[in-house]
Amino acid sequence: MKIIIVGAGNVGYHVAHRLSQENKEVVVIDKDHDAVRRITDTVDAQGIVGSGGSPLVLEKAGLREAELLMALTDSDEINLLACLSADLVSPTSQKIARIRSTDYDLYMETFRLKPPHIGTIINPDVEVVKTIDRMIEFPGAVDINEFAEGKIKFVGIRLDEGARLTGISLSSLSSQMNQKMPLITAIIRNDRLIIPSGTDTLKAGDLVYFVSESSQLRKTLSFFEKFKSPVRRAMIIGGGRIGSKLARLFETKDISTKLIEKNQNRCNKLAEMLEKTVVINGNGTDIDILVEENVNDMDIVASLTDDEGSNIVSSLLVKHMGAKMTITRVNKFGYFPLMGTIGLDHIINPGLSAINTILQHVRRGKILSAQSIKGAHAEIMEAVAMETSDMVGCPIKNIKFPKGALVAAIIRQDEIIIPTGNSIIMPGDRIIIFARRTDIPYIERILSVKLEFI
Amino acid sequence: MIRWRYIISITGILAIFLSVAMLFPLLYGFFIQDQSVQPLAYSALITFGGGAFLYRFFYIPHSNYLSHREGVAIVSFGWITIGFFGALPFYFGFENCTIVDAVFESVSGFTTTGASVLNDIEALPKGLLLWRSLIQWLGGMGIIVLSIAILPFLGVGGMQLYKAEIPSPVPDKLRPRIRDTAMVLWKVYVLLSLMQIFFLTLGGMNYFDSLCHTFTTMPTGGFSTKNASIGYFQSPYIETVIAVFMILAGINFSLHFLLLSGKISSFYKDSEVRFYFFLLTGLIACITLDVWKTVYPDLSDAFRYAFFQVASIMTTTGYATADYESWPATSQMILLLCMFIGACAGSTGGGIKCLRIFLYLKYCYKELFSLIHPHAVRHVKIGGNSVPEDVMRSVLGFIGLYIGLFATCSVLLAATGVDLLTAISATASAIGNIGPGLGSVGPAENYSHLPFLGKWILIWCMLIGRLEIYTLLILVLPEFWRK
Repeated sequence: MKIIIVGAGNVGYHVAHRLSQENKEVVVIDKDHDAVRRITDTVDAQGIVGSGGSPLVLEKAGLREAELLMALTDSDEINLLACLSADLVSPTSQKIARIRSTDYDLYMETFRLKPPHIGTIINPDVEVVKTIDRMIEFPGAVDINEFAEGKIKFVGIRLDEGARLTGISLSSLSSQMNQKMPLITAIIRNDRLIIPSGTDTLKAGDLVYFVSESSQLRKTLSFFEKFKSPVRRAMIIGGGRIGSKLARLFETKDISTKLIEKNQNRCNKLAEMLEKTVVINGNGTDIDILVEENVNDMDIVASLTDDEGSNIVSSLLVKHMGAKMTITRVNKFGYFPLMGTIGLDHIINPGLSAINTILQHVRRGKILSAQSIKGAHAEIMEAVAMETSDMVGCPIKNIKFPKGALVAAIIRQDEIIIPTGNSIIMPGDRIIIFARRTDIPYIERILSVKLEFI
Repeated sequence: MIRWRYIISITGILAIFLSVAMLFPLLYGFFIQDQSVQPLAYSALITFGGGAFLYRFFYIPHSNYLSHREGVAIVSFGWITIGFFGALPFYFGFENCTIVDAVFESVSGFTTTGASVLNDIEALPKGLLLWRSLIQWLGGMGIIVLSIAILPFLGVGGMQLYKAEIPSPVPDKLRPRIRDTAMVLWKVYVLLSLMQIFFLTLGGMNYFDSLCHTFTTMPTGGFSTKNASIGYFQSPYIETVIAVFMILAGINFSLHFLLLSGKISSFYKDSEVRFYFFLLTGLIACITLDVWKTVYPDLSDAFRYAFFQVASIMTTTGYATADYESWPATSQMILLLCMFIGACAGSTGGGIKCLRIFLYLKYCYKELFSLIHPHAVRHVKIGGNSVPEDVMRSVLGFIGLYIGLFATCSVLLAATGVDLLTAISATASAIGNIGPGLGSVGPAENYSHLPFLGKWILIWCMLIGRLEIYTLLILVLPEFWRK
């Protein structure tokens, strides 16, 4: 599968990186010689220096043989132009564009049906707000992904020092706790991914991922001592595009919200835009303002300014002052592993949210959606088991599965099955598969190779 | 940080790979029942054992990301390891063979130099002759590029290796994935080789000789199965076929790929190829005129030998049809300069490469131009595109290093007691991966009489030249080894 990416910025780089790891043919176009160089130096992709909006450059990049064009530059205009040019060169190609301005929101349908025929428009700001929305639903969880229209959740939690589950091997956990155990699919310990077997034990500081039915999630979270009451009071630091979108979301959810913004003019604008939110003019790292606004009572404080340094400082500060949960916007991917160490668990990044959404659209065959796991080289995906797939009709333990992959749940009509080795996947079942990124091409193959045959 | 264990385990894999390659001449030797079976069988066993040992005992679980330094280290140590293991059949197979002679022959093979220490090539068992040709063929397109193409384990890191083994001033990737790129290059290489075998057998050469000569023409290597090299055949047809394929092998393989995929215009529009043909024609004309009447009374003979010899030296192959040491000094001097120019970037040839010379000349012109117009803004362009400053710098640096290395090594070689002309031409010939030189290492002689130290100097020159200076030379820097 050949994919052309326009824009070698942060998002373009990471999408190219992931896709090349999954054995796709990736060509990246950017005007900046150095940005292209950075990609071709570290990623197994072809780089072309030139404007992505130019049909000639797109042609040179081999758009005619490509199945997908992704316009991922920082500029909405160039992304639209690239899609338009691509539509001229190769009308059959799929197109994904990253567009931030809300002005286009109303015209998305038009873009899809008429030239430039953009199949998917991704707004990183919207994606990031969606991510935050999922986070605050269950404040105890670090990472929540939804599958099967929200019926199944894939949740990551951080085990605290002295939690009652630490030091017990997984196989004896459920008997010791006198409770049914959720299926623990992965543990991230010191930035390394462990696919646990029964003999592994949980340790404090582990990021534990498990699959749970949405209706059972409260119970499961309390099992891990991680259930916290839902958010009532929130503070947002930074009234930019993301901050204002989030404030509006909180208003619809009846969460009482305070929004701190440095810039006086922007505050005026925000006050005009928002209804119930209290807009405060001030600096998010200013202790006096934070005390004045009762930060210690907050269920959640989201630091969302453009400056990641002050976001981190604000979050540490408010956590110290007693806020229950912090969400920190961090732009540099390289800082992510550091965040767990300094105690900031909920990290968001518009690029990363966009990348995850983009990657979901690239999956082929009957893969419905896929989510990557925080900081680790693994993904969890939802797929339909085709009648012709190798996975159907035999017990799971007999399926030739790579070491780093497992079936985390089976959904048969309305029933949700947490599989054991003897479970059998039936045609039409939806299955949730967890896999290391390097095994994804293989998984895709056993899911869809015979599909293409039909 | 360099993961040495990982690097050593990968060189182990390369050695295992090499032992598999040894099976081909072994099977052939077995089939025709000659003396090469025993040495090849021993070598294959030792190489396999050694490779398996290195792989097994140094193996660590790794991510397949490779840093640039690790890529350089793998390619450098991979080539050194292969050079030594590849010497085993010669060590076991030649009478009274010293280690240095075996390694010289092997490195000269893998680096596609074609300089030999053998006095009587025709006396060798055929299995060993086949091995001698096969290593040139493997080394020509690059044994590491071959492993990238067929072994999936190198994965993402393959690119660092690719860049270290085929360093080109303007790297071009034919396909988005490195593995596909390597595969495409090898396919073109195999296709051209098949074509050459076909044409050679058509001219009456037997299958064994056409296979061996194809194996040494396509990589611009120069080992022959005959003592008199191509001169043995005394056939204008065979000479023409070989000369044409040498010239083809000296062209960027990306262009061959474009040509085969139907983009003919990109071939003759390429500035480097134009420059390459311009130089070839010019130099052939000069030498033809120079040797006409002085050596060969007939113009057609003069052209025939000049054409073959210029093609052979310029593409850094090193076959001979005539003893050019009996030619006038002008011709010899031109041939010596050809050794420095070399073939096109991205080809199997060695030398400085036409592209670098071309850019260098343009740069010189630009410098002179800016003396006349101090405020002029002028770019060095190739094919209508400006050459980025860093590429230009690396070209200048390369030429500087090349000349510096040549100067140092020829002084060192002279210090071992070799005469002046031999020292100069042998060094130029080794760094440029050509083969024969002038003086006592001319086309009619060989390298066996060189002193022990002299051979070692040339072995390193060949390796450094094959990996285009930078790759092997940065290993000498203390910074490379610091943590």
